[in-house]
Amino acid sequence: MILVIGGAFQGKLEYVRKTFKGGTGPVAEGESCTPEEVRQASVVNHFHLLVKRLVEQGEDPHEAARKMLEINPDLIIISNELGCGVVPVTPFDRAYREAAGRVCCELAARAAEVHRVVCGLGQVIKAGGNS
Amino acid sequence: MIALITGGSGSGKSAYAEELCVSWHKSSRPMIYIATMYPFDEESYRRIARHRKMRKNKNFDTVECFTGLKNAELPEKTTVLLECMSNLVTNEMFQEGGAGERTVEAIMEGIDRLAKQAENLVVVTNELFSDGIEYSPETTCYLEYLGEINRRLGRAADVVCEVVYGIPVFHKK
Repeated sequence: MILVIGGAFQGKLEYVRKTFKGGTGPVAEGESCTPEEVRQASVVNHFHLLVKRLVEQGEDPHEAARKMLEINPDLIIISNELGCGVVPVTPFDRAYREAAGRVCCELAARAAEVHRVVCGLGQVIKAGGNS
Repeated sequence: MIALITGGSGSGKSAYAEELCVSWHKSSRPMIYIATMYPFDEESYRRIARHRKMRKNKNFDTVECFTGLKNAELPEKTTVLLECMSNLVTNEMFQEGGAGERTVEAIMEGIDRLAKQAENLVVVTNELFSDGIEYSPETTCYLEYLGEINRRLGRAADVVCEVVYGIPVFHKK
């Protein structure tokens, strides 16, 4: 699995398409994707929105992420990097932001590579992981 | 040695800062954890409990300090972890008896004293500056104070590290 993170509108998907062999394959959108779409995808885009949906539904995003990788261990996962802002006003936003952070920590620990995209440019911040 | 550890919320910066302390600390005497989060609701108690669990068995003694860092009574010559600067600034600015407009100076006086008496000092701060939202003058002032403190700490520190989902990205080393 490869994790690609960065702020909003930094060109993460485009970077993935240019950089990785699997990057041109089918994309599952975090906002709306079904488990079947994730199974067939090579890229999950806007992963943070999937986390948001799961938190809204009261499900454990860690469990869901693990399941996703069991089924599809070579995924490229793209997520907005959240958390670099003032503490949100609503409890839900705080819980969502926290959950997205923790899940991405777990994904980063498991990832073979982690790339961070700023202004369209990718920086490899982790390479040579096991999976 | 002085380290400044920054990162967003949920980035894994606390765990990284604790590990750094453990790796720097050469003696068997306890390290000091300066806790700055003032517990005011259930959510903050949960956060504090989570942090306590994380650093259990890592040989930290906890000292609470909500304001007046320079008056904190601490043993000398040990490794000190201060977590976190964003809460300390909130307390100094908004708590009764806090430093108010003198927040930056008051905190830096405390930091200078800590830096002199500690063997190692690790300060955890927070990246709050990139959400692109315009806040009230009060919150903007808070960001300005925290940014000023971060910059001063960045100059004083031997190591400045941003933790990105558990991965250390060094800005100064």
